[in-house]
Amino acid sequence: MKETNGKNSVEKLDQEQDLGLYFLELCRRKVKEELEDYGGDDDEKEESPTELNTLNSSGGFVVVATDKLSVKYVSVNLHGHDVGVIQANKVAPMKRLVYYFEITVKDAGVKGQVSIGFTSENFKMRRQPGWEANSCGYHGDDGLLYRGQAKGETFGPTYTTGDIVGAGINYAAQEFFFTKNGRVVGTVYKDMKGPLFPTVAVHSQNEEVHVNFGQKPYAFDLKEFEAHERMKQQVKIEDIPVVPNASYGIVRSYLLHYGYEDTLDSFDLASKSTVPPINIVEDNGIDDQETTYALNHRKTLRQLIRNGEIDVAFGKLREWYPQIAEDNTSAMCFLLHCQKFIELVRAGALEEAVKYGRKELSRFFGLPVFEDLVQECVALLAYERPLESAIGYLLKDSQREIVADTVNAMILSTNPNMKEAKNCLHSHLERLLRQLTACCSERRSLSGNQGETFQLQRVLSIGKRS
Amino acid sequence: MSLFWVVVRQLAEIEAMAASKKVIPREEWERKLNNVKIRKEDMNKLVMNFLVTEGFVEAAEKFRKESGTEPDIDLATITDRMAVKKAVQSGNVEDAIEKVNDLNPEILDTNPQLFFHLQQQRLIELIRNGKVEEALEFAQEELAPRGEENQGFLEELERTVALLAFEDISNCPVGELLDISQRLKTASEVNAAILTSQSHEKDPKLPSLLKMLIWAQNQLGEKASYPRINDITTAALEDSA
Repeated sequence: MKETNGKNSVEKLDQEQDLGLYFLELCRRKVKEELEDYGGDDDEKEESPTELNTLNSSGGFVVVATDKLSVKYVSVNLHGHDVGVIQANKVAPMKRLVYYFEITVKDAGVKGQVSIGFTSENFKMRRQPGWEANSCGYHGDDGLLYRGQAKGETFGPTYTTGDIVGAGINYAAQEFFFTKNGRVVGTVYKDMKGPLFPTVAVHSQNEEVHVNFGQKPYAFDLKEFEAHERMKQQVKIEDIPVVPNASYGIVRSYLLHYGYEDTLDSFDLASKSTVPPINIVEDNGIDDQETTYALNHRKTLRQLIRNGEIDVAFGKLREWYPQIAEDNTSAMCFLLHCQKFIELVRAGALEEAVKYGRKELSRFFGLPVFEDLVQECVALLAYERPLESAIGYLLKDSQREIVADTVNAMILSTNPNMKEAKNCLHSHLERLLRQLTACCSERRSLSGNQGETFQLQRVLSIGKRS
Repeated sequence: MSLFWVVVRQLAEIEAMAASKKVIPREEWERKLNNVKIRKEDMNKLVMNFLVTEGFVEAAEKFRKESGTEPDIDLATITDRMAVKKAVQSGNVEDAIEKVNDLNPEILDTNPQLFFHLQQQRLIELIRNGKVEEALEFAQEELAPRGEENQGFLEELERTVALLAFEDISNCPVGELLDISQRLKTASEVNAAILTSQSHEKDPKLPSLLKMLIWAQNQLGEKASYPRINDITTAALEDSA
């Protein structure tokens, strides 16, 4: 028996486990994603401020309008401890590049002591943002920036009735920034940790501000600002040297890994004829051997599966690789049987599908890892137009692709030279992307979950024609 | 225990504290890697984007068939773009200019620098082929007026004309203009301009992602020690963390 190295359950792969289960897991994840209306990751789910918090405000000095977006100072201010402060109902979201909100000064009142900024949760609600520790505020009457003390720093212009003033957190640069009438007036290092509330204050009779948490367009071009910040980061990154033609090698090994042989041939041919010819840095040789293994068989089977010819694919598999095809209860065989069933449904051969299901799929009912996918497949029968149903994804090309990928990986696993089972599952490209994603999300979690994480989907959507 | 060893131990502790980096053991890191979700469709798109942007039109066509991935640009336009690129690479600049104008006359109209570089390349090719008179005429008629408009162009023009002053070009200080790399530079400039005119990014995404990986590994490296990928061509995780 092969030695197992006792790693945890995720590392099943290293043990004598059915590799196909990995792909089965991918399918099941897809089921969940489809049902949950998959949106990329959890970033978008973070709550944002929507209105002012009327419960925790300096009651008595101010009146908040019924829309909870306007605040007015109604008393006569007497000292420094009767400021009308009000926070947003939620903390500024952190899992993004930038957070921003704006106020419009409706009326600068008697003294124009309006301010905008950020404060921590236990901020003293009778003081100007910036006067106390763990707060920061840009004040309208003097244009100064206050950071945790009663003395302000020279910062920007003053602002008054009719001005639109904004405050933002740039998580990438770890800076606060403020705007007046659509232009950045200044930035300052963000020395506060932990969650921060968008905060506004009014402090003289009749002062009134209206807050915009993004319900309406901002005076400031936030999109442009974000694009500029991303670009600044990108410029730094573009300066990093990489091995010449590394991309060519990675694309090539991707094509090899998945058995896209026709593409590979064209690619190789074209690489040779470019001026100057592209010399792909050859891997250590062994690696290449791992991936050229059974290339033509893998390509043929992928084509058959992509064309929906599951019976033929099954036949070839049994002929070429009996060792992986003989166990009819393996995840690979299960996925192929499901696919055959799906193809019958697609062709409208429902009776035949039922017969096939009874013969080949029924044995998987009641087995935890297989059950949900079997049920989804069988459920296709219930719809008049299955493609438009919640499980319509099963009829898409991507499902065929997963089945083809499963067969591909299983064939790779029969290669006696394959060093690690994991290499059957992940191409070089995938390993690099996993490392990139893991590095970015780990780094974010080590810096208090601030900033945006890496998402391949976002990178892919940049620069697309809308 | 001797005082020496006590001190050594204390020093070691201080060192560990100073580093105070989070240590992520390989097993934990691999678990994190396994939890990352990368969609096959997205990798396919990334590969397609590379093939298309780099101009591998046949490979892109095959890849569409083999993987079902739709290219983010009309494949026919790649053929035209590559024809222009090839024309510059092989020194047929006139032909290239004509082809660009067939594709979209606005490309050169709105891009005086590119147009100048193409004309400059044409001059270089004339000089390379020993057509001295024709070269001089071309420089005077086509390039000099542009040099008057723009100081940068004028300097470039002077540098190029200097090629004529040397009989033995292999020993000439501006000889690099005759190098193949100059053609490639001009070719890639045209290539980028055509892509931009097609609202497509001028560079493929994959090389940037590789750079980003190195950057991200360094950034995380400041806060934690964890298994890295040191050689992106093998994508292997380093052994010791």
